[in-house]
Amino acid sequence: MAKSSTARKLDDAPLVQADRRPAFGGGGPPAPPVRPNTPIANNAWLAVLMLLGAEAMFFAGLIGAFLVFRIASPVWPPPFQPRLPTAVTAINTLILLASAVTIRLGMRANQRGDRARLVRLLLWTAAAGTSFLLIQGFEWFRLIHFGLTVSSSVYGGLFYTIIGCHGLHVFGALIWLVVVWQNARAGKYTRQNYVGLQTCGMYWTFVVGLWPVLYGLVYLY
Amino acid sequence: MLRKIHCIMMAAGFTLLARTATTWACAVCLGGESDSLTDGFKASVLFLMATPYLVVGSIVCGLIFNYRRALKKREKSETLEPIGHLAWNQEDSVR
Repeated sequence: MAKSSTARKLDDAPLVQADRRPAFGGGGPPAPPVRPNTPIANNAWLAVLMLLGAEAMFFAGLIGAFLVFRIASPVWPPPFQPRLPTAVTAINTLILLASAVTIRLGMRANQRGDRARLVRLLLWTAAAGTSFLLIQGFEWFRLIHFGLTVSSSVYGGLFYTIIGCHGLHVFGALIWLVVVWQNARAGKYTRQNYVGLQTCGMYWTFVVGLWPVLYGLVYLY
Repeated sequence: MLRKIHCIMMAAGFTLLARTATTWACAVCLGGESDSLTDGFKASVLFLMATPYLVVGSIVCGLIFNYRRALKKREKSETLEPIGHLAWNQEDSVR
């Protein structure tokens, strides 16, 4: 009767003895033991969620600034500016998207208890992220050589600011990923203890999911 | 009487909003209604206005999704013990 209507289980914590006092006039049989309340969402997970919200607003500001200059200019890209390498960056985009798949598969492998597969997939993710950064860096050198710099025009300033900020975020996520990979090799993550892996996966997924938006706006629009 | 005054004021406000020539004037961009710079600012402002709702909405949806997933995980467990709910009946009131 009591359990079908509004009873909800909220945690798996061990049972503790409750201080049982009879209701008015004694009442019926004693109530079941009370479990202590534990939060549904982990604190670290919630903190990273808030961080991602702040990062999203940061990039929204940059995108807003880009929109002002892009729409205000009758000709875009401006004349006498080097053209961006859209084809190479498209391949780079696919590499980065593949890294999001590998880290998600790694998290699933951890839930199944397959540590070796987790370590292997984290390594693939780090490799994909590193190759993304290296290819981006190589293309940047070429663009600087062709005359597109931060101070050459608003076009150059916007490009390096937006893409550079994203690249810094990918670099930071890569460092985090390497630390997580080391922890995974040491066997730190289990089916019950996976918060570090989960939060790293959230951040990585965010920087990967952000890239197609920036690519579409800066390179293609 | 006060309600009539409020209605008249609201009607006047909506009438002003309907006059696009008055409301599109921008003191910052110094542009006209059809200027490309004004279009750029409009697009940027609309985008930046919508983004906080998207971000907060995503966070809230994430929390709701996590809560429902946690409930389903716990409902699958064998020992169903109520916690944190209101005492709807005599059994639960004995604590």
